[in-house]
Amino acid sequence: MRPLPRYRTQSEIDEQTALGGAYVRSLMRSQLRAGLTAFTVLAVVVGTLPLVFEALHSAALVWAVLGFAAYPPLTLIAWWYVRRAERNERDFARLVEGRPAP
Amino acid sequence: MTGAGYAVLVLLALLLLAAGFLLGRRTARPLRTSDVGTPVEHATFETLHTASLAAPPLRAGLTEESARRSARRLRSLLGTEALCLTDRERVLVWDGEGEHHGRHVMDQVRDLLASGRDTAFHSDCDDLDCPLRWAVAVPLTVDNRVLGTLIAYAPRESAVLARAAGEVARWVCVQLELAELDRSRTQLIEAEIRALRAQISPHFIFNSLAAIASFVRTDPERARELLLEFADFTRYSFRSHGDFTTLADELHSIDQYLALVRARFGERLAVTLQIAPEVLPVALPFLCLQPLVENAVKHGLEGAVAVPRDAGSVPAGETPTRITISAFDAGSEAEVVIEDNGTGMDPERLRHILRGEGGHSTGIGLLNVDERLRQVYGDDYGLVIETGIGAGMKITVRLPKYRAGVHGS
Amino acid sequence: MSRTYAVAAVAAVVLATVLVGGFGLRISRTTSDFYVASRTVRPRLNAAAISGEYLSAASFLGIAGLVLVHGPDMLWYPVGYTAGYLVLLVFVAAPLRRSGAYTLPDFAEGRLESRQVRRLVSVFVAAAGWLYLVPQLQGAGLTLKILTGAPGWLGDVLVASVVVIAVAAGGMRSITFVQVFQYWLKLTALLVPAIFLVLAWQDDGSPRVTFDEQLSVFRADHPLYATYGLIVATFLGTMGLPHVVVRFYTSPNGRDARRTTVAVLALIGVFYLLPPVYGALGRLYAPELIHGGDADAAVLLLPGRLVGGLGGDLLGALIAGGAFAAFLSTASGLTMAVAGVITQDVLPSRGVRHFRLATVLAMCVPLAGSLMVSRVPVADSVGMAFAVSASSFCPLLVLGIWWRRLTPPGAIAGLLLGGGSAFLSVAITVSGAVRPPGWPHALLAWPAVWSVPVGFLAMVLVSLATPGRIPAGTNAAMTRFHLPEALTSGRHR
Repeated sequence: MRPLPRYRTQSEIDEQTALGGAYVRSLMRSQLRAGLTAFTVLAVVVGTLPLVFEALHSAALVWAVLGFAAYPPLTLIAWWYVRRAERNERDFARLVEGRPAP
Repeated sequence: MTGAGYAVLVLLALLLLAAGFLLGRRTARPLRTSDVGTPVEHATFETLHTASLAAPPLRAGLTEESARRSARRLRSLLGTEALCLTDRERVLVWDGEGEHHGRHVMDQVRDLLASGRDTAFHSDCDDLDCPLRWAVAVPLTVDNRVLGTLIAYAPRESAVLARAAGEVARWVCVQLELAELDRSRTQLIEAEIRALRAQISPHFIFNSLAAIASFVRTDPERARELLLEFADFTRYSFRSHGDFTTLADELHSIDQYLALVRARFGERLAVTLQIAPEVLPVALPFLCLQPLVENAVKHGLEGAVAVPRDAGSVPAGETPTRITISAFDAGSEAEVVIEDNGTGMDPERLRHILRGEGGHSTGIGLLNVDERLRQVYGDDYGLVIETGIGAGMKITVRLPKYRAGVHGS
Repeated sequence: MSRTYAVAAVAAVVLATVLVGGFGLRISRTTSDFYVASRTVRPRLNAAAISGEYLSAASFLGIAGLVLVHGPDMLWYPVGYTAGYLVLLVFVAAPLRRSGAYTLPDFAEGRLESRQVRRLVSVFVAAAGWLYLVPQLQGAGLTLKILTGAPGWLGDVLVASVVVIAVAAGGMRSITFVQVFQYWLKLTALLVPAIFLVLAWQDDGSPRVTFDEQLSVFRADHPLYATYGLIVATFLGTMGLPHVVVRFYTSPNGRDARRTTVAVLALIGVFYLLPPVYGALGRLYAPELIHGGDADAAVLLLPGRLVGGLGGDLLGALIAGGAFAAFLSTASGLTMAVAGVITQDVLPSRGVRHFRLATVLAMCVPLAGSLMVSRVPVADSVGMAFAVSASSFCPLLVLGIWWRRLTPPGAIAGLLLGGGSAFLSVAITVSGAVRPPGWPHALLAWPAVWSVPVGFLAMVLVSLATPGRIPAGTNAAMTRFHLPEALTSGRHR
């Protein structure tokens, strides 16, 4: 439970200077990119599915996809996103604290 | 003033001295260079040395004592027959001849004290042997306030003396300004220490250390644990950043506090905690529950009144003090209740204390917490205290889960 | 079906809920247990609690009923209910937790520094909450009707009063352990009977389920549009549901909020594997429900039809208990959330007594609604609450968290145009002023497809037109939303 030393960049961020703002914006961009990637995958798949169902007209397929197959991919995308977001945050903390990558 | 202002003043002082040094060199036009220094250089060194000797007393501010100790150095800097330092009301010191002039000084500098402008005046007197015929008076100002005057006396009118007196006075002003800074810094530190004392009582520190010491031999492992708790507790209490904390952190600190108290009182103190995990992330003003628990402990140990429920573990004739701390979820608020079975308090007296008329040391913590809660959350959120003499005390604190600007860090 | 067992099961659920809530809080802890007591709620536990509160009567009864009547296309509902958490995760979860907001009005005020926006958001929270409560009450009324044969309105009133009394008395607070218990109860109540039902179906020679003669009550015209409307509403609406947002406050930090959301996805995903089974079996064994009648009752009726005897009675009682748990948890969570908003933003002074008054208010409106409005299938009316939430709160949250140039006038415009139009459409649909078939009805019944873009566009355009109104604390808020905990706390454990 040792207190973290206050780093220079940290105080730039705390005091919301122009430099600190640039740091935060870069973090936001990387997180937004991760979020948009996950969302785009979801939107493309889900957006085309009704059309596919409409074209194939197969009740069995709808049952299989919506009843069972849809849930594991949803959880997998979520899991991927969380890993990516947490890695972004770790990288950002390293950037701010000036530690070299391990 | 800030550290930056402080640095600027020091720099100013150095620059002034350096300027004087260079000015001396430039005007002296040395006849020859010497490895051991020209007379002008030596004179400058002597001046600087004298100035450095006069500085320390002045750093205590403009008082009779500091004036007395620095006046001789200042007079030798000016090389004049007499030198007088005054504050706004009276003569602080007279150095040199013709002390009888001191009687009229305050009349002569009255205008100067008001206007803050240098003046010169003839100082005739009946004593024919008296060499003091002319004087230059310069104000000593700090932050545009005239604190006093420096008056240099001479046998005759002298522009050089006027100039020199002006320079010396300015140098004195810098020293006084530094003194002012020193003082405000000390005041700040004192205020901080006072604030910290309000947070942790010195008795508590002493008692904790004594309790820990008693375990060092008999149970070193426990002593070590307690010391770590003590360190953690003080670090939390002394932390300097952020006005707000989370309920989880505050309760953690209270737990450490109670561990230290229990090291001392053991079985006499029974603590029960009921914490709903939903309210742990609630943000609240830093150290606003710990004083309430400390209050409960103090009241509880002063004399518990309730019938002991498990008297078996307590020596006969002694009632254990029960303290219950509960925190639970109440929709958009969290409710924290701290209850003890101690001596309680006369409600009328408590009302006085919370109105700030108590003057009693026990109520300071309560008053302080009450004020801070009202300040942050509004008057609806003050302490609710239920008590009576011999009836224990129950303090209820309501904390909104969200309030703009309140973010626990 | 034997009523005695079912009534006993319902009574047991109510009692267990109150007892777990009561004792979960009242277990005394001494200092030595402090670390246990003060441990913040772990993501998995909180996830089970969120799932417990989220799985409503619509999930428990409604989906199976819709599948029974309309066929597998209705499975978009559970997929949407689940995927909504994915969208919430990628755009909202961690920043919302870091904002420190307890409710959506809190978030709006903290981000936009405007009491006006706060009040407007409060209105929408109450509206969405009420829309969501109506089907809960109707579902509960239906359950009671099937169990005891009581008239429909009696069930609604009885159940509304039970929730009001329980919430106002403090017995049904959104305590984590209660909701965790509710989740596992609901899962068990659907899973165990499902196993027996499938076994009975195999004994019956595994007849094929067919959906050839699909009856489509009001889905005949423009089914594709309706599907997309449903997808948009459920995917984007979850993040704004008042009882969901409140639960995220319990997470200790943003990182845990994210992990919690993943666990929620998994937990409700597992649950949603079950309702389709009931829908399909209901098609075979309760075909009369297709043609009128309360299709939502399918789940309750199946055990009696397929298993029968004492076993059927016991399984039916288990399902009835689960349905009641579904109803109780969601309704009490919603009532709590709406009552909280009413206490803070409508009633003048705060305090416990006002909270009780607010609870009554929070329940009165949806009760009146549930009694006056004709029964719409539970899942459909829940879908309308999602549409309102998706058109108002989704733009507010997403733009508030990711876009620096959002201004209070922009937020107000977006809320009014997006959320307001969605709400109006839903109101017109429910009132029955525009009837199918035809595009007008389709557009109004599934407004999300157009109202969500309207909400976003209004917010963006008006914000861009009022650049002078960007709140002063925007940068500070953004920093707080996005900065990882390791950098904000200054120390770590």
